Amino acid sequence: MSTKNKKVMVVGGGIAGLTAAWELSRFNIDVELIEKTPFLGGYAIQYCCKATDECRQCGACTVEAMLKNVVDEPKIKVHLSTEVEKINNSGRISVDLKKSSYRPDSATEGVIRGYSKNNSPLHVIVDKEKCEENPDAVPEGAVELDTMGFSGKLDVDAVILASGFQPFDAEQKGTYGYKKFPNVVTGMDLERIIRENATVVRPSDGKTAQKIAFIQCVGSRDESLGNLWCSQVCCPYALRMAETIKHKNADAEISVFYMDIQNVGKDYAGFYEKCKTDFRFVRNIPVDVFPMENDSLSMRYMNEEDGLCINEEFDLLVLSVGITPGPDNSDLSGIFDVGLNEDGFFAGMDKLNSTSTLKGGIFLAGTVAGPKDIAASMAHAGQAASEVIKHLGVS
Amino acid sequence: MTDMKHTDMEEINIATDVLVLGGGLTGIKAASEIAGSGYKVILVEKDAELGSQKGPESLVGLKEELEALQDLESKITADSNVEILTQASLVSAAGVTGDFTVRLSKGKEVIEHKVGAIVVATDFATAALHENYGLSPADNVLAQSQMAELLASEAGKGKLANKTVAFLVGLAQDGNPLVMERVLKSVLALQEIDGCVAYIYAGDLKVASDGLERMYMESREKGAVYFKLTEKPEIVENGKTISFFDSVARRNIEISPDVIVVEEELRADDLNEEIAEILRINVGPSGFLQSDNAHFFPVRSNREGIFVAGSTREISGLPSAWTDVENIAVEVKDLLGDGKKSVAKNKAVVNEDKCVICLTCYRCCPHGAIYWGDKKAIISPVACQGCGICASECPMDAIQIGGFNDEEITEKVKSGVVSGNGTPRLLAFCCQNSAFEAGEMADMFNMQLPEGLRMIKVPCAGKIDLDYILNAFVSGADGILVMACYPGNCKSENGNTFAQWRVNDAYRMMEEVGLEKDRLCFVGTASNMGSGFSSIVVDMEKRINELGLSPLK
Repeated sequence: MSTKNKKVMVVGGGIAGLTAAWELSRFNIDVELIEKTPFLGGYAIQYCCKATDECRQCGACTVEAMLKNVVDEPKIKVHLSTEVEKINNSGRISVDLKKSSYRPDSATEGVIRGYSKNNSPLHVIVDKEKCEENPDAVPEGAVELDTMGFSGKLDVDAVILASGFQPFDAEQKGTYGYKKFPNVVTGMDLERIIRENATVVRPSDGKTAQKIAFIQCVGSRDESLGNLWCSQVCCPYALRMAETIKHKNADAEISVFYMDIQNVGKDYAGFYEKCKTDFRFVRNIPVDVFPMENDSLSMRYMNEEDGLCINEEFDLLVLSVGITPGPDNSDLSGIFDVGLNEDGFFAGMDKLNSTSTLKGGIFLAGTVAGPKDIAASMAHAGQAASEVIKHLGVS
Repeated sequence: MTDMKHTDMEEINIATDVLVLGGGLTGIKAASEIAGSGYKVILVEKDAELGSQKGPESLVGLKEELEALQDLESKITADSNVEILTQASLVSAAGVTGDFTVRLSKGKEVIEHKVGAIVVATDFATAALHENYGLSPADNVLAQSQMAELLASEAGKGKLANKTVAFLVGLAQDGNPLVMERVLKSVLALQEIDGCVAYIYAGDLKVASDGLERMYMESREKGAVYFKLTEKPEIVENGKTISFFDSVARRNIEISPDVIVVEEELRADDLNEEIAEILRINVGPSGFLQSDNAHFFPVRSNREGIFVAGSTREISGLPSAWTDVENIAVEVKDLLGDGKKSVAKNKAVVNEDKCVICLTCYRCCPHGAIYWGDKKAIISPVACQGCGICASECPMDAIQIGGFNDEEITEKVKSGVVSGNGTPRLLAFCCQNSAFEAGEMADMFNMQLPEGLRMIKVPCAGKIDLDYILNAFVSGADGILVMACYPGNCKSENGNTFAQWRVNDAYRMMEEVGLEKDRLCFVGTASNMGSGFSSIVVDMEKRINELGLSPLK
């Protein structure tokens, strides 16, 4: 069958959406890539490299490479700041798109910047008034957010939902004091801090953090929240970032508070052995955090050996927040008439065919269907592309 | 490499049959998918029957798996595009992708076949860890597979009625989610049997796979008791009693189980090593057939056209093996197409007048892309990844890489050494996959960069000749950076290692002529770390400022 007229819509421009779009374009399929924020790359493009003196296989650099593939590929048409309004799924799928209502929540400046040099536009004006106050500070080529976005109808032959996840909102675990105490950060914040500075500094004073605690399973495996899943990425990112910190600052004292350490990478045994010599592991998840002088933080936890409670001070506290269902899942579920599973992620056809859905022509890729790391998201997107190609009869 | 623009193209014919090694579930699925794309598949299995490698243990609790196996088996058996060779094995493989000649033995017969691509789909092997717990196999001491087998039949289940069963997991090995899943499935199955009680002695619960936390919670709600320990419990009289000291309750907890179930290690197939040697693909951690290199995930090997699926590359349950196979189906289709392939003529060109067939290039090519003819080495334009390691290693300088030939780079070195108002003249040789991207990012993001810094893009750090470095010093560079991907992140596996060796050679020469070692720096970088790039080059400028300008200029 000819592929000339085949067109696929990919909803979401994170790593799964980028990969799915690029895989399809290799087969001469036209792709309409829809992204609700003004930038491609999703969360994964914000992550830092976690190499020490060797690569730790976090995969962050592969996101950069995939984004480059996509922006260089003429068969992929990117619609930024755009979201799906409704669809008509009879025969060809007719999708109504509208300008996205997405606005960055904490834009303290008038202009926001993408995380990759491959973002186009690289700078987006979110607050025109602020920019007018200081026009010299507005980078060349900056585009007004209000002018972005696509409204209109597109007819496509299949849709891949790749709208991703939402990092757990650490404010829901109020006793950790996230956003109240400056030196309590999430894993996501730490990724950005390292990405921007190539080193770890305390948000309160910009000084190097010496005594650092990671708390695992924040928002994951938590009955009180009803989050009955392991996010699968937090042990890997926490331990890899902790190794990065230790590599740059051998004097850093790092403690990891955990329930069960999950495997990290293909060479887990060797990596974990190194971690055990570099960090202190405490099998207990602390609950309460108290502010101390100099913006340090005190935590109370139970010692496994003797069952006694201990108070200890740290310079920096990292909450290893997990993966939770995307904020738009219930809307998209309604629009595309594809069900969610009991955890709120999209439900695939079955365990083996997890990228197909019960709805013909609608497919899933990446964390929209459950927690995944970068590599697993890319693999899942490849699987989705394969299923779409079969569905379209492309050869 | 998508970055290179080739204009001079030619069309070649390639073989489109595909060899699949391994007739387990993953191999069967691979054969089915690839045949479904219209390619002829030869499926090779060492045993007498397909699908026999995985016993019933992997099927407990997942009916889909059993059904999937039966469906696929009948599908491929009926498919005229699939030739099934049982009790067969791979003897040799010559050539490159699009033109592999494989020899397969079946009994006394050896069959030769041309294939365009090869898929390795071996399964994992299991090994019970009795000894690690000081136990010996006995009627009351079962391996995880034996327990699963009992649970697979009604008769077996009958034997387990009213029994107290203790599981040992994660205390004799790190384990992984698949080991955990097998235990959780058995525990849940036991809970369906009258009077069964399950105790689980566990290290870390490896629940990092979809649905496992819920299975764990469900089994607990149904009465399974989990003891999370940091070391093995005390086991006496081959499993008669198990005890440990509970530090929180501050007392000894002792149980006398009827049956004790010992965890199993899941490891790479014994065949892997041999297959890797024949196919010239790299072996990764623990004997699995894929280097631990993020650029190869999910299914690529270091050689174009050779793919690795499921438990061949890491311990995989069926869902991830299925994912791998679908990815391979896409890769194979993209690679083989309709048997005609458009390739760049100038990707890597061997000069017949200079080549003496010394085979240096054959040996150093990380992609197995080079073979030889009567008069010169031949570089396959399909298999070649354009890294240029061969070109830099060639003692005769007989190889040139399209877009990166020596003359052009030498010219760039000369023009790149520029005076920045008395600031140090710095030259950075940058791998296009990492440092060059990071450098551009630092520039675009207005991060700090030395005024006298110029970047020279190379296809891989392995293309950085010793000559380039020496020429740069002669041209007046005050400082030189060789910026490669981190070890383990090179798309060409060891291009960065070659670069490091050449830098070490340069150090020796610099010492001889009295040039300070600090003027040359080898460093790992990542494409997404503009900040990292900036801090490296700023530090370099500081060091050169301390040394002063180059005495060679």
